[in-house]
Amino acid sequence: MNSPDAIVIGAGVVGASCALALTNAGLRVLIIDRGPVASGTSGAGEGNILVSDKEPSPELTLALRSRNAWFEVNEDIGGGFELDGKGGVVISRTESGIAGLAKLAKAQRENGIDAREVNAAELRKLEPHISPTIEYGVYYPQDAQCQPMLAAAQMIRAVKQRGGKFIQGENVIAINSKNGQVTGLTTNKNAYASPIVLNATGTWAGDIAKLAGSYLPIAPRRGFILVTVPAPELIFHKVYDADYVANIASGEADLQSSAVVEGTASGTILIGASRERVGFKSEFEIPILRQLARQAISVFPILKEVQLLRAYRGFRPYAPDHLPVIGEDGNISGLWHAAGHEGAGIVLAPATAELITAEILGKTPFMDPTPFSPKRFMNQDPSAGVHVAS
Amino acid sequence: MKPEQVGVVVVGGGPAGLSAALNAALAGASVLLIDSNSKLGGQYWRHLPETWLEQSELHLDLDTGLLLISAVANNPKIEIWSGAEIWSATHENGATTLRLITKGVEKIITTNALVLATGAYDRTLPFPGWDIPGVMTPGGAQSLIKGHGVAAGKRVVVAGTGPFLLPVAAGLAQIGCEVVELLEANSPLRWLKSFPTLIQNLSKIGEAAHYIAIFNKFGVRPKFKRAVVAAHANKDGELESVSIAKIDSNFNIKKIDRVKCDLAAIGWGFTADTSLAGALLLKQFVTKDDGVAVSVDENQQSSIAGIFAAGEITGIGGSELSIAEGVIAGLAAAIYLGCKAEISDDHRKTKVKKHKFADALINSYPVKSGWQGWLTDETIICRCEEVKYSKLKFSVIELGATDSRTAKLLSRCGMGMCQGRICGRFLVDLVANESGISPSDISEKERISVGNRPIITPISIELLANGE
Repeated sequence: MNSPDAIVIGAGVVGASCALALTNAGLRVLIIDRGPVASGTSGAGEGNILVSDKEPSPELTLALRSRNAWFEVNEDIGGGFELDGKGGVVISRTESGIAGLAKLAKAQRENGIDAREVNAAELRKLEPHISPTIEYGVYYPQDAQCQPMLAAAQMIRAVKQRGGKFIQGENVIAINSKNGQVTGLTTNKNAYASPIVLNATGTWAGDIAKLAGSYLPIAPRRGFILVTVPAPELIFHKVYDADYVANIASGEADLQSSAVVEGTASGTILIGASRERVGFKSEFEIPILRQLARQAISVFPILKEVQLLRAYRGFRPYAPDHLPVIGEDGNISGLWHAAGHEGAGIVLAPATAELITAEILGKTPFMDPTPFSPKRFMNQDPSAGVHVAS
Repeated sequence: MKPEQVGVVVVGGGPAGLSAALNAALAGASVLLIDSNSKLGGQYWRHLPETWLEQSELHLDLDTGLLLISAVANNPKIEIWSGAEIWSATHENGATTLRLITKGVEKIITTNALVLATGAYDRTLPFPGWDIPGVMTPGGAQSLIKGHGVAAGKRVVVAGTGPFLLPVAAGLAQIGCEVVELLEANSPLRWLKSFPTLIQNLSKIGEAAHYIAIFNKFGVRPKFKRAVVAAHANKDGELESVSIAKIDSNFNIKKIDRVKCDLAAIGWGFTADTSLAGALLLKQFVTKDDGVAVSVDENQQSSIAGIFAAGEITGIGGSELSIAEGVIAGLAAAIYLGCKAEISDDHRKTKVKKHKFADALINSYPVKSGWQGWLTDETIICRCEEVKYSKLKFSVIELGATDSRTAKLLSRCGMGMCQGRICGRFLVDLVANESGISPSDISEKERISVGNRPIITPISIELLANGE
């Protein structure tokens, strides 16, 4: 398949979702990744499908649609990626925190999110092992989780069964174009012709844009996750501190972290979440792991007894305005971007795919895609002498 | 809690670690010896009970072990922390920080001179029924004999490959087990290729003769080119019998017989425990038997100045090579800290000679790829997560994994308690085979990364939280 209808670069969850949506729309799709399936950020996250951490914004609209789209994808491809609509619980312990959380929940309810304030007794029904110091929370039944590597792999499997192709181990070295229109791409091994090239390379999307002479200001925001030994029946929802929402929105480069705790289908408990902008620095920093452990214990004291089995880190693709980049490139037609979802790539993937597929096919998308357009970064390329807004 | 600054730190209390600790101390360094076992001796001189003094025929160089252990234990310059588990290690600005748990407390130490002698554990291969209680590794069987003086079974089959099968079979026979079969998968004729090395190591022929004498006494008749290819349980789920196959030189099955037994000790040589070396990002290499070892120079120094490695983690070679390397590493670490000492040529010569013997061992006891044909779809590949072979194949054939890391994350093979210590090494070969990649095309990086884990051993969330 050297001249497919569309080429998707990137075999993470966003790339796989886009490839599946384009395939389902009737296109013959080729997926290319320099590594194996989900070997970047998708393989280093928790598999969050959250609506609870979204403030009223275009991103909330996208997340809400996407959450439901995940269950449609599950139906479409026959599951196999541990999708679990287990719900989320957000807690707060300070007076100002509780007031802020209550206000956020109210605004979310007005925007279609099921957000139920719960008192101490109700909280204990949801999470019997929660710290006695926690007396207020908001329950989000729509929050869900999946195993993101399996999700990407299963979607790509469906794409292949439906006539598409996945090539791994080829590194894209050139985006080819003629008269401002994409004609294909060249890898370190082959050349492929296609009128549509979709850049779904997440944290590395800026590099692909650069190959095309374009510009995307996407940078890595590092995060660590602790994984415990299997300890089933301890934690039933995704439970996190309301500080997490503030941390996501923060523009600070320094370390921010807040307790995010949840069980998984395999019985292990995942503990996050830290965010810091330190480039692609990969060393394991023990003080951060300790801070995550302390925060987790403060929410679930029972975790003291549980053993840490492993830890991993990943690099979230971060855009300066914290919004994903979805849409056609400003300089080259036929080059599309679906990247920069920061820590919300899993939840936003299927709706991102819907949005971009509708745009590519010239159909009316389910929401106004303008806020996500890559064109918002036009004329901001610092190498072109213009200062980047941050 | 401020990290404690110490002199030479030696990790591992086996032949290499004991030799390193003793020689660093004799060279004038103060030494901290950290060992995860409750008693010194390592896997090789494991748990020597007092009564063994009268039974030294059970262990050939028992005297060396007892002498070395007592010399280390009685040296005032050596502090010993037994039962200590290192969970994290990092190297920064010339100093190594080790975070470890001992007696339920976390301790953090830093050192400028570290000797890693973390040893090896049994190399396993999966086969149908290998997870049945009663099937164990030779090392596991031996620690049962040595640790408690009792055997777990009465009718025993010892199988696999390598010289380690001999002391295990002999030990089991001596404590009263009936060794119904002793099976070596390779042909003894393979030794002909290394004949010159063999005659330079006459002591090894003496060792073999010693075991043959024991086998004659107890009526054990070793057989070659045979392997246990399946184990079968009774209705209580315990081992009842094994399938023994005649195999060809590539380990393909030719003919199968059933043999009743209630204990099977099966091992395929050793895998170096490189997890600490990996956490410290030391340069490693793939050995001729597709294992992984730490790269060292003539003074046992690793790719990082001030970090030395000795014994099985620099390549499987047995206790004599481990002792020679341990001596050199201990002296070199003391010299690195400014002690006056010299590494004699004798140690270096011993090391070279024993290295040649170690190479001959690899050539004589290979593990051939035919073992993959012993598996069925139902065979458990990862025992911790109970992942079947069919699920691993699904991750490759249907989900597109072409490397062991991706296959692991898609199938959960190697994701459990042991973190791939048991299945990681053969997982690489299984995934490559399913992906149509020839064993020689598997990258060094992939084989090495299997042993790398930033959290070396589990730590409770509470201890992690309380530390600084």
